Amino acid sequence: MNKAKWLLLPLLLLATLLAGAIKPYYGGEIAMRLNEPASFNLSTANYSNLIFYSLIYENFFYLKKDGEITSHVFQDYRYDAAARTLFLTLKENLSFSNGKPLTARNIQVSLKVFLASELFTASRLSKVVKAVRFSNEQVLVELLADTPDIIAMLTAPELVVLAEDEQSFSGLFYPHEWEKNHHLTLRANPYYAGGRAYLDTVRILFTEGPAPDLFLGAPGQFKENFLEFDSGIYQNIYLCFLQGDIGQNTKIALYSLLKRFNEAAGFRFRELNALTADEESPVAIRIKGLSPQKTASILKFSEIKLYVLSSLSNLEKELTAFLKDSNLRIETQFIDDSQFMAFLDSTGIKYVLIDKIFQKKTPAEEKISRILKESSFNRFNAQYLRMLSELEEARTSNSQELLMEQIARISEAIVNDGFIFPLFQKNYSLYARKSWPALEIDYYGRPLLQQVSKTHD
Amino acid sequence: MKKAIGFLLALIALGAGAWAQQGAEALVADGAAYLGSFFKDKFDVRVAVVRFENGSELGDLAMQKIYQMLVSRLEGEKNIQLKDLLVDFSDGRGVFNLSQSDGLDFLIELKLIQNKSKTGLGLTVFSRLQDRVVAVKYFEKAVSKGEMDLLQARNFAFSALGFSKQLEFESKKHLMDIQSIAGADGRMQYYFFYPDEIIIYVANETRLEKHFQFKLKWSRPFFPTRHPEGKLLLFRSAQDLVLTAGSNFSPYSQVLAFRAGQWQEAGQVDFVPFRLVTMNQNPYLVGGRYEEGRNFFKDRVYFLPFAMPVASGGAYQKKTCPAMAMDFSEAAGQLQAVHVIDRDYAYRLFSPGFEEMKPLAERRGASLAALDGEWLAMSDYSRTSDQLYFLDIRDGGLRPAYAGKVDGEVQFIAAGNWQGTRGFWAGVLQAAPGAGMERLLVQFWGKRDE
Repeated sequence: MNKAKWLLLPLLLLATLLAGAIKPYYGGEIAMRLNEPASFNLSTANYSNLIFYSLIYENFFYLKKDGEITSHVFQDYRYDAAARTLFLTLKENLSFSNGKPLTARNIQVSLKVFLASELFTASRLSKVVKAVRFSNEQVLVELLADTPDIIAMLTAPELVVLAEDEQSFSGLFYPHEWEKNHHLTLRANPYYAGGRAYLDTVRILFTEGPAPDLFLGAPGQFKENFLEFDSGIYQNIYLCFLQGDIGQNTKIALYSLLKRFNEAAGFRFRELNALTADEESPVAIRIKGLSPQKTASILKFSEIKLYVLSSLSNLEKELTAFLKDSNLRIETQFIDDSQFMAFLDSTGIKYVLIDKIFQKKTPAEEKISRILKESSFNRFNAQYLRMLSELEEARTSNSQELLMEQIARISEAIVNDGFIFPLFQKNYSLYARKSWPALEIDYYGRPLLQQVSKTHD
Repeated sequence: MKKAIGFLLALIALGAGAWAQQGAEALVADGAAYLGSFFKDKFDVRVAVVRFENGSELGDLAMQKIYQMLVSRLEGEKNIQLKDLLVDFSDGRGVFNLSQSDGLDFLIELKLIQNKSKTGLGLTVFSRLQDRVVAVKYFEKAVSKGEMDLLQARNFAFSALGFSKQLEFESKKHLMDIQSIAGADGRMQYYFFYPDEIIIYVANETRLEKHFQFKLKWSRPFFPTRHPEGKLLLFRSAQDLVLTAGSNFSPYSQVLAFRAGQWQEAGQVDFVPFRLVTMNQNPYLVGGRYEEGRNFFKDRVYFLPFAMPVASGGAYQKKTCPAMAMDFSEAAGQLQAVHVIDRDYAYRLFSPGFEEMKPLAERRGASLAALDGEWLAMSDYSRTSDQLYFLDIRDGGLRPAYAGKVDGEVQFIAAGNWQGTRGFWAGVLQAAPGAGMERLLVQFWGKRDE
């Protein structure tokens, strides 16, 4: 053994030198474990998806942890305050992963798709954008008012370059092979605007097994062989009631049942007693749960179809088993985000389990506003609209007291109206094997694989 | 115990080179320290070694190294302006360029002698102002047989005889290659190849002046790359000055011809030409093809019969190996060898018949360039301490002749000339003041005696 060690010494020295080789090595594969996506259509509802889609779709802009903003698709961007116009000049000769040209028109269309989305960041942006035009390689974003932080607003992770063709991708990688329920292989996009990745492939595993090179986990584990990155985000899970005709007892009973699911699953989640995070909420939401007997007696005659967003599909097995064991007639149906939005008007959808990803650093007022806008669905009404305007006023008032008071009022109102009950919270760390030292993560907790290269053997 | 022995052996193996020169280095250190203290109360004095004689058992190469060590130490003295007048060493004597001695304040004479088992260094300092010898000093140290052998081994020459950095200036980033050719007026024109343009400079004394520039237009398929690399080739064909520009971001190299006072498109080829060589009395463009968007070449060398207008395809291929860097040595237009750094950073050599040859020494590197089948410049492959190695390839071997430290990372090397001196251009990426800032330095390393 000792001999072997000494034989290894020169090899280690050589490896150290090669690790710093001046010409970086192109090639190799990184394996990561994520939740299986429903499709390749952009859906960044949860953290796992946020990471997955960042690999195949290119953002307009990236926001680094230190606040630096960069872009791979624009060779120049300039905000003209006098003309209230943002000029985005596309790099020349860009292409999507299948070689089709990536033009200013694609940028215009992508921006318009984003502006039309239900996302909070999109609605903020759409309030200031008057028109989006393009000519040659330039896109002009005309604004209604002087908005110096317009570039920062364009760093939203959901604002990506979309192609007209579904088989074209703008990201660092493109899908190559998908074995459902097992893995998906991504290949380096040879036309990637920021310069081809060093890695040849990314293998995304959906199954449990030996730790891959990159995965998400609860904080404070896997210290030995992995670097732990604070993702800076958390995932909240809420129970929503989309119809007004659901009795209060049924709501509380279902809520109590799901709270017990966490117990049965070994407390995988933190209890959540606020709409955003317990530590930043001015009010604690205490919903008194019911005993198991009472829960069972209330729900035993109900036929409940619980819709669950596919972003929570990692719970599918356990949740289904738990509900089956409860001997209640509760059926779960996992549903894609886009499908869900299409069926929203249907009265058939009453009970929904949803999740929301939040950046820890995002101000509480922005989070509460997002919950109200994105999660009230068909229950959004004039009262909420007024509350949002008051929140906006409080924000501009410079009075922290007033602002927190308004946040408290909104929280109370939407819980009392009984359409959204907070259930759990999950904090994430991103673990990366120490043999990938160049890995960075951005402001949104996404790993940036552009600079990651294999340590040459 | 075994561990301890193993560790000592490893240390000895790693440090043998350094320890072996201990005696000579100590001799030089003593001499330099003495001169440093002698000049310490003087300011900005102009000093040069003007005589160096050898009465010791050491040979000329050892003298060169001792001289080099002394000069490098004296160059570090703040109050001395050291002039390096050495031209050559032969027959135990240094040959100095004494035509410049008029501008000196102090002249230094050195002599090596053998005193029994020790080697001695005699040192005299002559003041031109006082017109007399103002200091005499003698040091001696034991220089072992092994150390003498090491000093006399021709591993590295020194600057005046070997390659030295003769020019350095800052360029805008992403410079990929430099080539030169004599213009119609006889003056050398230097072509700087950037991803989107070519800038042509002409030499004006020790400076380069911008003469002309033109944009390069690339079309799809276009492969954006994190590390743009490219090769430029310039040659004359009949009345035309022909330029080819190939890169790792386009599968096609542009061919331009200078006619009627302007650069005109003259076609494109589907590989990156490096050289124009003659085979069976016919000219061929010879080169490689990059893996798209990446920093290495495919495992093929391409030969395309050259005639204007250029045929876009039809090149025949020879197999080599995937290459981080590649160049072709030629003599009188004939291909002599293909030099390759493979993807394991190992140097590999192929004959004109594309048989792999075993060079005399194993080397690793990152970039390389060949100069007329005589010299090969190769950069190191470690980020921690980059340097340039100049290797003598005249006899088909790979004899190390000189190494020069480089402060930064060598991005490319290209054979060329500067003011009549043949040598190599190197693009060096260096950290600049400011977080994450970098600058690109262009250096010319030339061999004055050739």
